[in-house]
Amino acid sequence: MTALDRYTCEEVFRRLNDYLDRELSPAEMAMVKEHLDTCGQCASEHAFEASVLQELKSKLRRIDLPQSLLDKVGAILAEARLPEEQ
Amino acid sequence: MLVVPHYAGSLGIIAPFMALALMDHSRTQPAVPARQGLDDLLKPLLGRAYGLALRLLRNRADAEDLVQEAALGACRGYATFQPGTNFKAWFFRILTNCYYARHRRQRHEGPPVEFDETPELYLYSQTAALGLHQPPGDPAQALLNRLDSEQIAAALLGLPEEYRVVSTLYFIEDFSYEQTAGILGIPVGTVRSRLHRARKILQKLLWRVAVERGLVPEAVKERA
Ligand SMILES: [Zn+2]
Repeated sequence: MTALDRYTCEEVFRRLNDYLDRELSPAEMAMVKEHLDTCGQCASEHAFEASVLQELKSKLRRIDLPQSLLDKVGAILAEARLPEEQ
Repeated sequence: MLVVPHYAGSLGIIAPFMALALMDHSRTQPAVPARQGLDDLLKPLLGRAYGLALRLLRNRADAEDLVQEAALGACRGYATFQPGTNFKAWFFRILTNCYYARHRRQRHEGPPVEFDETPELYLYSQTAALGLHQPPGDPAQALLNRLDSEQIAAALLGLPEEYRVVSTLYFIEDFSYEQTAGILGIPVGTVRSRLHRARKILQKLLWRVAVERGLVPEAVKERA
């Protein structure tokens, strides 16, 4: 990989959100990763943003499904299977 | 006993979506055998579906109603589901359609002016100022460990509506931008720009919640 093929810090920063969500092309993903492997500042920013997203996902997903809802949906599904409806 | 939900009358709201699907596939799909698989497909998704509903509505009764309404919509429209395509995305589209139909009045609110000035890497700078960037710790965790799920949900609620729905979906479930676009019926580019902007705004809202709850010290608060 030549210097011309490499991303600058600014080019990496512009792609950081897409990189975090794996929404770049495989080639771009590789270019960003290559930069992060060698640039401490960008790596630190990337690690921070990745950790924020991971923490938020983890905490916002911490919800128990109420048994009452499971029962009600079970009843809706059972009713949908009744032969007379067909 | 048959369940006759009070929300049954509101199913007209998903009719346009179902009609769209009907045009393409329904004539060739036998409804009865297909429906038998619905239990197995739907039940594993209920936890996340309820999670999305609860984070959007912040009220357990309303969230349960929304999921039931979506489940009923899935039953009625199941003949239009194409086997082999993503059932989770299909069901979440019904769910978000139900949500929008109920809460459309909130959609036109624009983002408050202050959000236009949200800088990049806001929490990164704030936690650095707080002295949390000492190796080997994780400064993001050090900050967010101070906030519980409800406080984070409260920050999420502060997002303008068009950012809030796409963000809540993003945080609750792992959909690609393309799947998210399909679920919400908006272009992929809109998903991308809203999500990216929402993250910046959310960082500011999270910091605000941390300040309001006294979770970060006054000295840093002044710089915020
Ligand atoms: Zn760099």
